[in-house]
Amino acid sequence: MTMFNRNDKAGDTSATTTATPTPAASASPTPVDAKRPQAYAQPLAAQPSSGAPSVSVISKALKITGQLESTEDIQIEGEVEGDVRANSVSVGPNARIKGTVRGEQVQLSGAVDGKIEAKKVVLTRTAKMSGDVIHQDITIESGAFIDGHCRPEFGKAQPFKADKSNAA
Amino acid sequence: MSVPLFRDKTRPFGSDAALLPLSQLGAAAIVTGILDTDGELAVHGSVLGRINAERFVLCERGYVEGDVVARDVHIGGRLNGRVFALNVTLGDTADVSGRIFHNTVTVARGARFEGRMPWRPTSYFEALDQLPETRS
Repeated sequence: MTMFNRNDKAGDTSATTTATPTPAASASPTPVDAKRPQAYAQPLAAQPSSGAPSVSVISKALKITGQLESTEDIQIEGEVEGDVRANSVSVGPNARIKGTVRGEQVQLSGAVDGKIEAKKVVLTRTAKMSGDVIHQDITIESGAFIDGHCRPEFGKAQPFKADKSNAA
Repeated sequence: MSVPLFRDKTRPFGSDAALLPLSQLGAAAIVTGILDTDGELAVHGSVLGRINAERFVLCERGYVEGDVVARDVHIGGRLNGRVFALNVTLGDTADVSGRIFHNTVTVARGARFEGRMPWRPTSYFEALDQLPETRS
């Protein structure tokens, strides 16, 4: 019964909606018709993109033991014991990483015990880096701590290896 | 590995969920290993391993393979493994296979679930400090 009633109601509402726009349509016919389909289409298009953010945030209360990988950006405020690889990695002032951090861009304000391999590296004044930094472009602010080598060899390591393997 | 579960036993559950530090894994993120947090964790990407959180949300495109231990769990994505949680909700996009150890559970219409949902008293979760070997 309810299904039949619903069908009847749908018919009624469509009848009323078609009846109501006519006075409005007489004032401005095209803008009202143009706005309506947009209003219905926008939420449908917006939901999938807003439902899946591309940025990853590791909060100060989170500890990861293992590997963390992403093709997008990662912001770390917590603790990671293992390797991190992402397009852009931002390590917050209280964050701690034990392992290798790889990416196009790495901004370090926290502590890394391991290695950084990135095209562009920024060590801020609260950074504490224990280990080597392999970079192409590096910024070191006053106050940053580094215990290790800084080598501008990012992107060159693989051709070197290839040459060695060819020679050997 | 002995990671203490449900550390903050004094806090009444579900009380200040908004104050929990929120972590999220983006859609492109893949974690292999253990994720351990006192706060909330939202996963849009993939996790292969173990999750230990206060509140855990597996979003629609998310995927987890392994065990999840949390006070509150909401699943909207794909999960293959076990869940140990007081309160579990399966959303209408959930696709779960495995076991859900729960105290209260809600399953939305449209959710897919294959496996078992054993009920456990609250005391079971409070005494839980090592996961049982009940791999199905």
